[in-house]
Amino acid sequence: VLQDDHKLSKEELEEKYTTSISKGLTSARAAEILARDGPNALTPPKSTPEIIKFLKQMVGGFSILLWVGALLCWIAFGIQLAQGVASAFDNLYLGVVLALVVILTGIFAYYQEAKSTNIMASFSKMIPQQALVIRDGEKKEVPAEQLVVGDIVEIKGGDRIPADIRLIFSQGCKVDNSSLTGESEPQSRSCDFTHENPLETKNIAFYSTTCLEGTATGMVINTGDHTIIGRIASLASGVGNEKTPIAIEIEHFVHIVAGVAVSIGVLFFIIAVSMKYKVLDSIIFLIGIIVANVPEGLLATVTVSLSLTAKRMAKKNCLVKNLEAVETLGSTSIICSDKTGTLTQNRMTVAHLWFDDQIYSADTSEEQTTQSFDQSSQSWATLSKIVTLCNRAEFKPGQENVPIMKRVVVGDASETALLKFAEVILGDVMGIRKRNRKLAEIPFNSTNKFQLSIHETEDPNDKRFLLVMKGAPERILERCSTIMINGEEQPLDRERAEAFQTAYMELGGLGERVLGFCHLYLPEDEFPDTYPFDTDSMNFPTSNLCFVGLLSMIDPPRSTVPDAVSKCRSAGIKVIMVTGDHPITAKAIAKSVGIISANSETVEDIAKRLNVPVEQVNKQDARAAVINGMELKDMTAEQLDEILINHSEIVFARTSPQQKLIIVEGCQRQDAVVAVTGDGVNDSPALKKADIGIAMGIAGSDAAKNAADMILLDDNFASIVTGVEEGRLIFDNLKKTIAYTLTKNIAELCPFLIYIIASIPLPIGTITILFIDLGTDIIPSVALAYEKAESDIMNRRPRHKKKDRLVNEQLAVYSYLQIGILQSIGAFLAYFTVYAEQGWLPNTLLGLRVNWEDDYYNDIEDSYGQEWTRYQRTYLQWSGYTAFFVSITIQQVADLIIRKTRRNSIFQQDLIHESPFFPFSRVQYWFVAMPYAILIWVYDEIRKLFIRQYPGSK
Amino acid sequence: MARGKAKEGDGNWKKFIWNSEKKEFLGRTGGSWFKILLFYLIFYGCLAGIFIGTIQVMLLTISEFEPKYQDRVAPPGLTVIPRVLKTEVSFRMADPKTYEEYVAGLNKFLKNYDNDQQANSIEFDDCPDEPGDYINRGPFNNDQGQKKVCRFRRDWLGNCSGMLDSSYGYKDGKPCVVVKLNRILGFKPKPPTNDSLPPGMMGKYNPYVLPVHCFAKKEEDVDKIGTIEYYGMAGYAGFPLQYYPYYGKLLQPKYLQPLMAVQFTNLTYDTEVRVECKVYGENIGYSDKDRFQGRFEVKFDIKSS
Repeated sequence: VLQDDHKLSKEELEEKYTTSISKGLTSARAAEILARDGPNALTPPKSTPEIIKFLKQMVGGFSILLWVGALLCWIAFGIQLAQGVASAFDNLYLGVVLALVVILTGIFAYYQEAKSTNIMASFSKMIPQQALVIRDGEKKEVPAEQLVVGDIVEIKGGDRIPADIRLIFSQGCKVDNSSLTGESEPQSRSCDFTHENPLETKNIAFYSTTCLEGTATGMVINTGDHTIIGRIASLASGVGNEKTPIAIEIEHFVHIVAGVAVSIGVLFFIIAVSMKYKVLDSIIFLIGIIVANVPEGLLATVTVSLSLTAKRMAKKNCLVKNLEAVETLGSTSIICSDKTGTLTQNRMTVAHLWFDDQIYSADTSEEQTTQSFDQSSQSWATLSKIVTLCNRAEFKPGQENVPIMKRVVVGDASETALLKFAEVILGDVMGIRKRNRKLAEIPFNSTNKFQLSIHETEDPNDKRFLLVMKGAPERILERCSTIMINGEEQPLDRERAEAFQTAYMELGGLGERVLGFCHLYLPEDEFPDTYPFDTDSMNFPTSNLCFVGLLSMIDPPRSTVPDAVSKCRSAGIKVIMVTGDHPITAKAIAKSVGIISANSETVEDIAKRLNVPVEQVNKQDARAAVINGMELKDMTAEQLDEILINHSEIVFARTSPQQKLIIVEGCQRQDAVVAVTGDGVNDSPALKKADIGIAMGIAGSDAAKNAADMILLDDNFASIVTGVEEGRLIFDNLKKTIAYTLTKNIAELCPFLIYIIASIPLPIGTITILFIDLGTDIIPSVALAYEKAESDIMNRRPRHKKKDRLVNEQLAVYSYLQIGILQSIGAFLAYFTVYAEQGWLPNTLLGLRVNWEDDYYNDIEDSYGQEWTRYQRTYLQWSGYTAFFVSITIQQVADLIIRKTRRNSIFQQDLIHESPFFPFSRVQYWFVAMPYAILIWVYDEIRKLFIRQYPGSK
Repeated sequence: MARGKAKEGDGNWKKFIWNSEKKEFLGRTGGSWFKILLFYLIFYGCLAGIFIGTIQVMLLTISEFEPKYQDRVAPPGLTVIPRVLKTEVSFRMADPKTYEEYVAGLNKFLKNYDNDQQANSIEFDDCPDEPGDYINRGPFNNDQGQKKVCRFRRDWLGNCSGMLDSSYGYKDGKPCVVVKLNRILGFKPKPPTNDSLPPGMMGKYNPYVLPVHCFAKKEEDVDKIGTIEYYGMAGYAGFPLQYYPYYGKLLQPKYLQPLMAVQFTNLTYDTEVRVECKVYGENIGYSDKDRFQGRFEVKFDIKSS
């Protein structure tokens, strides 16, 4: 709630803040207040200490499980060491390796997170360095941080406003509030109380906004965190960071895998103990089971895949700050888009002309070079002259080679639009102005609402002066008695006036800003060469002029936006426009970009068409809705929900930052994944609240960029569509990666289970498992992230946050119970082969474990009667590990091939070249599992065939 | 609000386990479960079949008479009998219970070497009583039926044969251990050349014997180890070559590998004495990692009272 300082008179203000407008505060008093209120700076939010963030990474995901594993290892090591078991140190090393795995992946994740920057950093950057303040009756330069409430400060064009100030004196002061309110127009500032709402009144200038021109003196009424911007900043930092959908999915996945790992581990611990294994051995089995079950490399793989996609997106102008946000865009179901700058070009452009009783459209695309409307009429020649002359905007010098539309102009938005428009059609506007020398000028002001100038004509034979005028159409028309039709002056009768009204209403209805133009040739006899024009006394006619035409301007939509919006539509994404602009303008733009489609109507439209009161219209009939910020203010959450559900095409106009937040929350209540685009400081809370905040890279304020998860480098809405596509692709591909990774977990787990139950020598060691998980499997997993899209992913609905999971039952069952088992069998074949070829036939292996692992049994007989020492057996066991490992790797190649597509046959997809890494082993063992690799592939092809034949069955 | 949601969640959970409306258990109907189980039954059945099939195919490629590879088992290990935990022989002379485990181990092992076990002259062969050269018995297959094996007389082990002293010297504090070279199919150990032997053994050199020698593992034990008596065929402390090569379990089921025995007759009591025994030969290897390859270590701790 803001105070009502804007309503108070100067005297009341002086009293309230015990200050003096002429002398300012005393230094002593200022120091006192500074001590009370604190410095005029935004307090940064309490940030979590880096060490805590780091530790969080160390215990997240699978880390806990692995820590438990490592701890058990060390316990086992301790016990075995005490017992003098020779192999005790294996457990120590395994524990160290597990800990290293956790720490390294933790560091990796921490490093990724540390990249996303602190939101408050940019707010603090906005603080002006010095302020000119009156204290003790003298002007002083003090650091803006030391400003206190009651200080009298002076500002001039180019300054940043050092605090929230109530203006006491102003001269032509204009401020740019765009970072605060989203309005791109410069706002004039005066000492007058003009609006109840402190945000709208003209006599308050806000902290961190910029003074564009003029000078002003004001009294500081709020400092630091109490300023409007400070409140928005605290609003933004108060909004908790939502978990990204992919983070939720990964958590879900971790839960599943951890659940499986722990339950199998505990189950087999119990089995092992009841099979009379020693508790210590059972613990070691437990470690093995955990390590086999946990895909150690997966989270790193996911991070790598995401960052690869992020890089790819960056090339397409989507800069992703938060890695997980890469996928979020893919699951987005609602985009709340800001209008200015995102959907539109953020520059006024002439859109329509009205002269000769006819409306012409102008080209509003970004790269206009010519205008194609009918320019033969004499009226146009006259109109163009007024447009050229009655204009104070100028190109900055030295831009001759720059395309017209990109040149920098000194002047306000409308005048810039007119200047560029004239330059495109006529060329060399500056030359024309030089030839028609300006003699006098009345600049635009809010009281007369017109601009006037008097020129010599370029025709040396015509000694008359030309008076040109432009301004609010109704005001211009009032001053006219004739109207130009086809170059002829005709009396302005009622019929003509009505035609004007119709055209004015029509253009206004398009949400365009309309300007009227008129002129008058001053009679030579009354106004001779030397006539002294005086703009103060207005010693020249300003009525009975000749009306020439209307020009309307709009901030036109970007040419790529309509296509992008329709792509979003077909991808099942609802696009909602949220803007601070006027409802009519908002609706017009919404219509022109397709956010409101051509044949949709709002409740108001229906009411108008049927000629019934708005209340009688069935709200269900209206697809579109335009909601004013004022209406939104009075709505309950339920009413907002109703609107969001019932209407598919929604525009919110005149919204405040808090309302944007409310809208985002409303969408999130519908289980939607919400993307918000914005550029101003005012957008930052909503950007933060959104599942994915998208800031504009060019026009965006630093605060918006900081609050956002993603930055559009080209400010182009169409880039979002690319982002959506990439996001969906990465989700599909991560699914493949996970399916690929989970499969081999069974092949890693089975050896332990069989080892416990059948007491065979251990087929694969824990370290070897880690080597697969963190070694050979990483590259293929990452390669899967490069897979191209299978079907047209932009033609299906966004995935449902709660129904379409990353890891679902089918995926887990298929990976674990079918392909995983197949793979295990293949690997076991290799294992039995290695042992058989060395003298241990399969039947001798069963039940061998206890003797096999007896460190003092150095003459165990194999199937041929040969006697083996302990170390010889261990060495053979390692050969077994290698064979098992190689088999898994070989079969993972088959797995990789089958996972490349989810539905299509591999023959329908191009194979990319893989080179998985093989360690040395007797070469033939690479091929032992080959039949199973082929079997895996054939089996999966059959499955895919069935899926394609009978889609949709469970 | 939150509480309501939680309740709803509970309901869903229960409903998931048993949905009475749709008659679904864990999200599937009985029929559906039946189909799933049937599928997995057939699926795993097929997999089991395929697995057994491929194992059989693999076994077809392997000879039953000799292993395909022996690179992991050779060179052979040297094994000491009795097999002792942590290679520590620790007992009290006065208390037979403390050494009965060792005696039993020796008895059990040497039973196969009793004369009555070697009576059958179809299986056994009278090889020379003096160490001689390898006896080749043809190729590694059963074309000629089973192969004969050389007899090995237990009494060659003298005081350590257990025939003279049933406690193998343990009751007198003069423990015996029996030493054997691990069996490796087809392995022909090559005796060392005379000059490559350690000094103390040169005198007993025989070109057909693979010599074994025991000594103190540590410098400080040299004085404690006392006299060492070696027993073997014809008094040679080693393994005669005529017992090699070994033809495997199938062709020589009764194979007796040559033995030798070591008796420590003057060990220092009440202290730990570490002894290492080594077999010497050109194709005998030692490894830092495998402490039982071609050698072994025993720690004696004999308590006098």
